[in-house]
Amino acid sequence: MPFISKIQRQSDYSSFSSNHPIVIDNGGSYFRIGWAGESDPRVIFRNIIQRPRHKITGETITVVGDHNPALLKYFDCTRSGPRSAFDGNVVYQFEIMEYILDFGFDRLGANQSQINHPVLITECACNPVQSRSKIAELLFESYGVPSVAFGVDAAFSYKYNQQFGICSKDGLAICSGFNTSHVIPFLNGEPVYEACCRTNVGGYHVTDYLKQLLSLKYPHHMSKLTWEKVEDLKMEHCYIAPDYASEVRLFQKGDKKAEEKTRCWQLPWTPTPVEEAPSEEEIARKAALKEKQGQRLREMAEAKRFNRINDLENEIRDLDMLLQRLRHVAENDIPSILGKTVYTSKQDVESALVKATQSLRKAKGEPVESVEKMDPSSTEKYNLINVPDEMLTPDQLKQKRKQLFIKSTSEARQQKKQKQVEEELERERQKKLEEERRLENPELYLEELRAKHRDLSEKVEQRKKLKTNGGHSNGNHNGSGGGVGRGERLNSSQRERMRLLTTAAFDRGKGEDTFGTKDEDWQLYKLMSRDNDDDDYDKPDPDEAELARISSRLQEIDPTFIFKSEAGSSSAAEAPRFRPLTKEDFQIILGVERFRCPEILFNPNLIGIEQAGLDEMAGISIRRLEASKGVKERITNSILLTGGSCLFPGMSERLETGIRMIRPCGTPIKIVKASDPILDAWRGASAYAAAMQFPHQTFSRMDYYEKGEDWLRSYQLRYTI
Amino acid sequence: MEPEVVEAELVLPTHMKFKKIQMYEKYPKGQARVRWKHLKQIIQAENYQNYPPNEPNCEYMLYSYVNIESPPSTHPCKRICDITGYEAPYFDPRTKLRYANAEVFKVIRSLPNDYVQRYLALRNAAVVLR
Repeated sequence: MPFISKIQRQSDYSSFSSNHPIVIDNGGSYFRIGWAGESDPRVIFRNIIQRPRHKITGETITVVGDHNPALLKYFDCTRSGPRSAFDGNVVYQFEIMEYILDFGFDRLGANQSQINHPVLITECACNPVQSRSKIAELLFESYGVPSVAFGVDAAFSYKYNQQFGICSKDGLAICSGFNTSHVIPFLNGEPVYEACCRTNVGGYHVTDYLKQLLSLKYPHHMSKLTWEKVEDLKMEHCYIAPDYASEVRLFQKGDKKAEEKTRCWQLPWTPTPVEEAPSEEEIARKAALKEKQGQRLREMAEAKRFNRINDLENEIRDLDMLLQRLRHVAENDIPSILGKTVYTSKQDVESALVKATQSLRKAKGEPVESVEKMDPSSTEKYNLINVPDEMLTPDQLKQKRKQLFIKSTSEARQQKKQKQVEEELERERQKKLEEERRLENPELYLEELRAKHRDLSEKVEQRKKLKTNGGHSNGNHNGSGGGVGRGERLNSSQRERMRLLTTAAFDRGKGEDTFGTKDEDWQLYKLMSRDNDDDDYDKPDPDEAELARISSRLQEIDPTFIFKSEAGSSSAAEAPRFRPLTKEDFQIILGVERFRCPEILFNPNLIGIEQAGLDEMAGISIRRLEASKGVKERITNSILLTGGSCLFPGMSERLETGIRMIRPCGTPIKIVKASDPILDAWRGASAYAAAMQFPHQTFSRMDYYEKGEDWLRSYQLRYTI
Repeated sequence: MEPEVVEAELVLPTHMKFKKIQMYEKYPKGQARVRWKHLKQIIQAENYQNYPPNEPNCEYMLYSYVNIESPPSTHPCKRICDITGYEAPYFDPRTKLRYANAEVFKVIRSLPNDYVQRYLALRNAAVVLR
């Protein structure tokens, strides 16, 4: 249940006489102010301010407390987060404190020229004197307060409950506040500060822990997890487990009780509108459209082919004519005629003609004649090879070299083709053999195939993992591997690389460094470069190809085989599958967090704060207490729980078991919760301020300036009056 | 100022009748804001005055803000999994996170680095580069 701030301006300020004290509970979470003797503070608000800038006018204004966020939209709040005057539980930002006091007094209805009432203000236990004196100064100088008294809020709460007999005059107060938690022993109704104990864990830390955990678990809902909302969640759902370990085991086992304890917060969510299946006519229409488009494309292709055929035929006709002319004309005139065209010799023209006829045939769809026609021309081309070198001119030598080259390449090509043909035949034969084997014994064949598939896939995956692991440690500099040398086994190329790196980096000292004089030295860097790891990628290819082949075979013949895609079947880093968002995506589930977060009050080690938890603090406090044994035994008989963070369900039981573990066997332990843990401090202070002897406990401005800071240091309130 | 803002009295007025010195006089605009001492400095200042060397008769404060702080816990440290909150007997040396079982381990190894740092920061164990 969220706390409600009361910030209504009070109108009866003038009806109070000038020695009626004002009581202020200056807490880490809430600021409460009211009149002494009343049972409830008049004004309550969150002890924070914001200083946003107005978007239009640009002036910076101050907003105290929490306000309706809708109104803040006129202000630019980006640079002004909520700020508190506290560091821990000590006030240190006095400007902010002044704004808050301004607001408090204003809402209390102050309308005279100064605050003419004595003020009782709460502070933390053992407040440093500097903080105390600055507040006193503030109240005296800026507000004109006649007299001031400081008290500890936990003590007021204890006294208040003592009045009602909830706790006796010797006891322990366990106050768990917003920023800190205190354990204060009381002897004869007075707090013993020497034995007091404070841990810097409070409600703020619990909320913060919960917020961070939820944000990490549900990063896409981070905008919904505001601090205020998380605080509400904490207040509503968090509880303290009587024994953390056993509770967590319930959840770990998936016990039914754990299911009941899990709470689920459903965020507002609208389902995406489902597209209905397209109706019959839709489908028919789409099919017709596709048909038409296909038809159009086919027509276009036809037209193109037709044009090309025409062009080729024209070209062939021209070339033919040219050839005929060449044949009829004498040898000498050939260059002149050919000069007008692009061809340089008769052979050129002939070869062009041949090419054109071939293309024509292809375009018309007739089979192409085989390449053996090359051979008749080849003997003519290679005429120079057989002629020995001495008889040739330099030009002809060049020609001969060219012809040799051409001949060797064409021979190589032919050989390759032959090999391919052979391989094809071989494969055919293999397939036939396998088919026969399969037909004779289908089961066994299937088994063998599956086994092979499994082995291969394992090998491939392992290699991949090794690669990615190596790649990770190579690329991840952030202390996770600390370098390639740690953890992973290096393969040979990585070892080589390391060796190169170390030798290159090794400072030789004496002797000149001759690296770099020769060009080949720089090749070293190429070897060192990580990109050369790509060479590894070539190796698994035959394995992967084999794997693919086997998988496809299996797919054909084995009805039960599910084709496992290689990419990421077992690796954890899968790309998120895109499926429509369901209702579950918009749920925030509070399971273990419900009792994990308040656990930090008992175990601050969970968030890295090296201090004792609440139950241990009680033991420490009792140990520090200088009192007779009898008192120490009695003291645990009245333990008061107060402060906002003690409202978690299950806190008393947990504390009891904890304290029982520490104290000697058989000591009486009685833990009571304050009647109202949140307001009791103020109420106690109010009752105190209404007492007759209260004025003796205050100090005035004169006192403060005369006696100085040292006196202020030793000023302590006497609580029993 | 928009009417609804004025009506809600959101803004703290700059002039308060009951104050002897107003805020804008004390902290004039345009000047650098006062640097207040943080708690650590306040504590240091206090301690310095706690132990004056000259006077033999003065009593030390038996208790001060620092004195009453609680010591480190003597109970055995409870180790819980950083991600799920279960009991975590295992520790991942690469990411320095604690984990409870193999599935959580898989999740941990697939986390991007800033998530790892944030989980560690929950425990105050993040690597802080200053």
